[in-house]
Amino acid sequence: MVSFLARRLITFIPTLIGVLLITYLIAYAIPADPVRAWVGEKLMNPQTLEQIRIKYKFNAPWYEQFVFLVQQLLTGQLEDPVRHRNVFTEITSRFGVTVEVAIVGFLFLIAIGIPLGLLAAVFKDTHVDFAVRIMALVGSSLPAFVLYYFLILLLFVYTKTTYLAGIPEPTIACRTTVSILPQRVPVLGHLASALGNVPMFAAMMCGEFSVVADTFKRLYLPGLALGLLNGGFIARIVRNSLLDALSAEFILYGKARGLRRLSVWKHALKNAMVPVVTVLGLNFGGLLSGAIIAETVFNIPGIGRYMYEAIMRLNFPVIIACTFLVAVIYITVNLVVDILYAVIDPRIRY
Amino acid sequence: MEFVYKALKKVIWFYAGIREKLSRGWITKNSSRIREWELMAYAYSKSPIGVIGGIIVFIVFILAVIGPIISWEPYWEYKIVINESYRYMPPCLTPSCSGNPLLGTDEWGRDVLAMSLYGMRISFVISIVVVLLGAPLGIVLGLLAGFKGGIVDEILMRVTDIFLAFPGLVLAIAFASVLPQRLRGVLEANSVLRSFFASLFGLREAEYGQIAALLSIWFAMVIVWWPGYARIVRGSALSVKEMPFIEAAKLSGLSTWSILFRHLLPNVISPILVMMTFDIATATLFAAALSFLGLGPQEPVPELGFMISKAGQFFPERSSHVVVYLGSLLLFIAIGWNLLGDALRDILDPRTRRAIEYRFEKEEKKRG
Repeated sequence: MVSFLARRLITFIPTLIGVLLITYLIAYAIPADPVRAWVGEKLMNPQTLEQIRIKYKFNAPWYEQFVFLVQQLLTGQLEDPVRHRNVFTEITSRFGVTVEVAIVGFLFLIAIGIPLGLLAAVFKDTHVDFAVRIMALVGSSLPAFVLYYFLILLLFVYTKTTYLAGIPEPTIACRTTVSILPQRVPVLGHLASALGNVPMFAAMMCGEFSVVADTFKRLYLPGLALGLLNGGFIARIVRNSLLDALSAEFILYGKARGLRRLSVWKHALKNAMVPVVTVLGLNFGGLLSGAIIAETVFNIPGIGRYMYEAIMRLNFPVIIACTFLVAVIYITVNLVVDILYAVIDPRIRY
Repeated sequence: MEFVYKALKKVIWFYAGIREKLSRGWITKNSSRIREWELMAYAYSKSPIGVIGGIIVFIVFILAVIGPIISWEPYWEYKIVINESYRYMPPCLTPSCSGNPLLGTDEWGRDVLAMSLYGMRISFVISIVVVLLGAPLGIVLGLLAGFKGGIVDEILMRVTDIFLAFPGLVLAIAFASVLPQRLRGVLEANSVLRSFFASLFGLREAEYGQIAALLSIWFAMVIVWWPGYARIVRGSALSVKEMPFIEAAKLSGLSTWSILFRHLLPNVISPILVMMTFDIATATLFAAALSFLGLGPQEPVPELGFMISKAGQFFPERSSHVVVYLGSLLLFIAIGWNLLGDALRDILDPRTRRAIEYRFEKEEKKRG
């Protein structure tokens, strides 16, 4: 297990460098002048442009620029040239929001996908099964933005059960408490403070549960949308892998031995988990990387929108930092899924 | 669904006839292959969802081919500019529109139904070409990595990993914002390319700037698409290459490429074909999503995703008809490909194979 982890961690390094290099080369190949796009009309004069060029080493050859950017990225000094703030401060606050959306969306995904999948497996080849099949088909064939529009129409315009501006935040007193935690509690404090970057978690730690409720009220619409789009697909996976497991020989053996129905199901469910966990894990990873279209339509200031805006303004430092983050998430999620395999299925050993 | 089977059989024998004309004795030499195709046609005709999917795809294909030709309104004429009486009306639905277009007009007063015919050609061409370019690239690299192993495998898989770890939409967005200016220059200089792509997308040559934007979506999506194929093909190539017939091919001194394409590829291709069919649906939606975000072609090109995003500004009071119609059109296209993919998966699955063969033989006997 340890050597497996070490090997995987070593292969991370070339992948991450490759991702950074490609991002940079794409950015470098853009024919437009990024500095002009950053500055805007008001401050546009030769001295300012020259100052920014020197600050970001635009006059140096490309590999020097690249090394400079990577250095700043790894030491955490990278600055957002449009907002004049540290990229990491921006990313932490926006990533917190994306994590909230991902959690709410994931809850809906599980709540819709798994029960439907179990139902479809139990009532195999009936109307229920057929309905789940149709739902999976429509979910994978419907353009996401059209569904978003109609959910907004239904739940925001007509029934007014949610709102589409801002993200609920805990009180300032609570934020301060969470931010000074590392000084009070040695190790756990750092962890708690890192988790506190997600507004919902910070509110939970301070006991401000009205903020948590508000967060769900604000975000249940995008969550429901994401759950509806992928829920049918998850249900299909649950159904198929459960049916596969139920038709395996050890189940027949169990039944022949006279096991109770409940424990037969327990064995089948455990064996059906492996593919389900993979798909759910990858889905969560996808949600964490920011659902760009959902964030745009539902007006959520998350990491996806930040990336999109950065690309539109040729904001390379931000693009590089965000791509790095998304790549790290992708690799980590894959690793976690691989480890979960071994946890669920004792036959798999690394 | 007897007629589907008969029609497909005719197509197969028509093709066989052509091959026979080209080289004598082709039919006798390939009789087992023809038999295989007939079996597949039989299995397909027995699957209702597959037939429905096939019919949808066929309708979409026909509409995409003839759409821009039969469309009764030029997309580059803004009615609200030309016609004074239109000025404050669009987007509107039939009773309040002048001229009574069947599905209403968009915000320029153009008939939505006529515009969607142009849009279908664009999205069809993009989705097909993305999969037809992206999949072979992934297949070749995957075969090479799986078969060669060692350092080649390591390098190719690391590159694949890099592209898989890259956020797809970001890569596509980045390409779509980098490439158009360059492609525009190329199209401006080369009139042959310009007229070729213009007729391919069903647009006017004057819109070469927009054609450049469409082409950059192509490129972006091809780059996003191949790594998935490379990963899967490599996996299956790894298991197939250990089989004795590959050993035999190696010993008889065949070249690497001929082993790859004549012996390895046919044994890994069926899941790939299924995946390609599903991916055409995904690519259609992905392209629409890119133009929805404003990264595709701009005015006056009636791309489906772009038109929905413009209608979104008037949603829901005045433009819900546009969103509903164009949204269901995209849904229709994607459902067609997804159903077809579902059916293909069942047909090409070796586990259901014997049952189909048995039924086929029984029915052949009944027919005499």
